[in-house]
Amino acid sequence: MADHRDDFIIAIRYALLKKGAKQKFSLFFLILLSISIIGLDKFSYPFMIKIRATLNDFVYHVSVVSSQPAILSKHIVNKTKSHFLVMSENKFLKKEMEYLKQQKFNNAYLSSENEIFKRALDMSDNRGFEQNFSITAKVILDQKSPFLKSILINKGTNSGVGKGMTVFSENYLMGIIIETNFLTSRVLLLTDLNSKIPVIIEGKGTSALLEGTGKKKDLYLNYLPDNYEIEAGKIIFTSGKDGYLVEGIAVAKTYLVKEEVKIELLGDPDQALIVNVTNGQIQ
Amino acid sequence: MNYLSIIKKKILFSLPVVFLYFFSFYHFQIPEVGKINVFAFNFQMILIYFYVLKFPENLGYGNIFLAGIISDTVLGISLGTTSLSYLVLSLFTSYIRNATLRSVMTAEWFTFIPALFFSNLVFLLIINNFSNVSFYYIELLQNTFFTFLFFPLFYYVFTYYQKLISKD
Repeated sequence: MADHRDDFIIAIRYALLKKGAKQKFSLFFLILLSISIIGLDKFSYPFMIKIRATLNDFVYHVSVVSSQPAILSKHIVNKTKSHFLVMSENKFLKKEMEYLKQQKFNNAYLSSENEIFKRALDMSDNRGFEQNFSITAKVILDQKSPFLKSILINKGTNSGVGKGMTVFSENYLMGIIIETNFLTSRVLLLTDLNSKIPVIIEGKGTSALLEGTGKKKDLYLNYLPDNYEIEAGKIIFTSGKDGYLVEGIAVAKTYLVKEEVKIELLGDPDQALIVNVTNGQIQ
Repeated sequence: MNYLSIIKKKILFSLPVVFLYFFSFYHFQIPEVGKINVFAFNFQMILIYFYVLKFPENLGYGNIFLAGIISDTVLGISLGTTSLSYLVLSLFTSYIRNATLRSVMTAEWFTFIPALFFSNLVFLLIINNFSNVSFYYIELLQNTFFTFLFFPLFYYVFTYYQKLISKD
């Protein structure tokens, strides 16, 4: 029994301390180093923040380069698929264009008529969406992990991007800036488990908290009233109760799948290439 | 000619390290087919386990540590988390290497279970105690399961590759 324990201790000591033929560091030293780095990172010392920001900028840029072959192959597959779709789509669009041309004249008339009525009732379209910061950024990396659903954009503190700013893609709210470096920033997507925004549901105006689940077609509404049943086909808007998101930004919609009401985002974070970073609102 | 063959040999020998760094910089993800994504597995863990177990001279602990730091930066989690997880895997693997007398694939495959368990346990503990990020436990479980499942496939690929380069 004692011999067996001695053997175990010898094997562990050998594994921890013996460097081996071409090993420059022992496992023991590297494990201690890792633990120290975790500790330093946890307590966010000022020098550690600078090191982390520099490391982030460097690693993100190398990561962008290393992901190029995969992006290229994805691009080729998508291009091939779209090529076969173009012909049939073209025929359909031609027909639709003819129809829309006719509709355009009707719309112009209705729009001007609407303006006249609004002016008569003193209900202008000015929603008061104030915005004193807005910048366009490119998505450089969208590597999803089991731990964070986030993307990286090519604008950082040097462009004025700050933590907590909101990110829009094609006029749909997509996420919030959670990490800023000098040249890059990380956006926490609405689909992430850590994302929680106050919303109201179209219709009765019920308030709730929209939480990410990791899936863009299956978000979760928390803090709904007791016995409240969500209806399908409703739009979910920001309520503005958090203080920095303007109310009335359409975020998600409810839909029916196999007699179950689910919530999906209006925008698709996976398709975002160019995003708009603002300080809370969109024009 | 002699120099060329030396360079070629050096490149071939350092390919596992190159792969380790490449997959730390680039976390590939194949779109889900159905509800379970069978292709979501941790290639780095298979690579580390195999090379520390069979060819420790080809994969240094320093490289494993650095690959973990890069992985943490790319994923946006606390620095050192993946490093420590990989090093625990290396420690366990190193212990198995010292404790085993005869190398059998099935035995090595099954000892991969406790190695993965301890490595992921360390990861889980650090994420839960030293980080504020929420966690997709099911995805980690799936990822671990498929990492274990794919091990024999890569075992034969890596063994064949090592045989091929040692012939040269």
